[in-house]
Amino acid sequence: MADVMNVGVNLEAFSQAINAIQALRSSVTKVFDSLKDGMKNKETLEGREKIFITEFQDNLQSVNRDLNELERLSTLVGRPSESHPLHNSGLLSLDPVQDKTPLYSQLLQAYKWSNKLQYHAGLASSLLNQQSLKRSANQMGTSAKRRPKVQPSTLALPTQYVDDVISRIGRMFPDMSIELFRPNGTSAVLLVTLGKVLKAIVVMRSLFIDRTIVRGYHENVYSEDGKVKHFISLHVQVTDHATTALLHYQLPQMPDVVVRSFMTWLRSYIKLFQTPCQRCGKYLQEGLPPTWRDFRTLEAFHDTCRQ
Amino acid sequence: MGVTCVCQVPVAEGKSVQQTVDMLHKKLEQLGAIKQGNFWVDCETYHATGNATGQPSKLLYVMHNSETPLSSMALFEGGPGLTADANFDVLMVKLKSHFQNAKGHKVESRGTRYRYCDFLVKIGTVAMSSSARGISVEVEYCACVIPGDCWNLIKEFMQSFLGSSTPELPAVFTNKAEGLYTPVDCMDTMSQYLELFGKVRKQQVLPGSGVR
Repeated sequence: MADVMNVGVNLEAFSQAINAIQALRSSVTKVFDSLKDGMKNKETLEGREKIFITEFQDNLQSVNRDLNELERLSTLVGRPSESHPLHNSGLLSLDPVQDKTPLYSQLLQAYKWSNKLQYHAGLASSLLNQQSLKRSANQMGTSAKRRPKVQPSTLALPTQYVDDVISRIGRMFPDMSIELFRPNGTSAVLLVTLGKVLKAIVVMRSLFIDRTIVRGYHENVYSEDGKVKHFISLHVQVTDHATTALLHYQLPQMPDVVVRSFMTWLRSYIKLFQTPCQRCGKYLQEGLPPTWRDFRTLEAFHDTCRQ
Repeated sequence: MGVTCVCQVPVAEGKSVQQTVDMLHKKLEQLGAIKQGNFWVDCETYHATGNATGQPSKLLYVMHNSETPLSSMALFEGGPGLTADANFDVLMVKLKSHFQNAKGHKVESRGTRYRYCDFLVKIGTVAMSSSARGISVEVEYCACVIPGDCWNLIKEFMQSFLGSSTPELPAVFTNKAEGLYTPVDCMDTMSQYLELFGKVRKQQVLPGSGVR
């Protein structure tokens, strides 16, 4: 696997370069050794000096030769491929213990698989959309040539577009305020304040809703570390329902419709404490008000009354 | 920190205060509430001295609550109130010349604290000079801070264990200038307790306590 990735490296020149480094090291050591040993024992002073200087010059010349050889080989070696296909995760390929933790190869396979899946899903959805049961003729019918066209990916939307969509949705509902933060990178985190009833933290991934957490209106959400134990069971249950809702409202091709439907559903909680359950007529069931909101009709039910 | 409602439960016919309290405990435990320790609320009365002649001296009440053990609350009846830390009592000692402690008028309510889902219920015996005078019940709904929103919910809960003794919406909320839909604070709870203690004091007038 490593050979395939480092195609730019000439392995032959690489091994020769390593040998050249060893040769250079030994010649430099020889220089310092001869200096340390000093002049050899000869009859005359000039003789000793001459031999010493000759030896010194030889050693330095061999160092020069080795250095030139090394420089020549280093130009031949070439650079490893600069563009990591996975940016920083490509550095995982440098892990020497490849058989025990084959992270990099598995990562590459996972990415290839998900890309293929997305491509196939796009093709399938465009094909299936053509087989709609609508009788009216629309421009979909003439797309025999355009059939293999792939829908643009909705996972990598520009942040400005996400901001615009969110602010438009925020203006739709006067009693719900949405604040947008980007604490880590490009994923948006929304703080939705619903009247004086509750606050919801919605984590998004481009325009798809990833996760929600519901808190009380009076609780401090700004210094949250995610590990605080919730002691109000009402909010725990509403968080569960909100997670169910975000899994229910799914439409991959039109994520802004999804966000709008989710916000409409969330807004029905404005009268969380004031509405009795539609089925049993009471306010409380086991100490909790009706926390379930039907996905289509937005009616309030107790969690135990809903089906 | 939630909407609280404090009410007084009359002692049952032919029973003592302690027996009525035990009956309430049993009803709560049948509902499924869990006991979570004890609570106390106390109230001390101070006369304001040095007033203009002819005017009745204003009474300052200094109250403590075990829910906020590090705070003291000081309020005038129906008037402004303040929240300070526990050293306020020491400050009152230093202000002896302006405010005199009416030692015999200390009222306190002590009892057990129950938790049922998001509700905190505190049933206490109101005592004045260590003689039990009545029963106080405080219900706090921790999930909501707007009294107008959740009053029906709290009332339904109280009906399930208090039966006919369920009170109406406390006057402290209806008398607020901003209306029923503003968030509560701990002063509302204390005002309700003050009202209850005032009623308890009036119930059995002690000889010589012509102040109230």
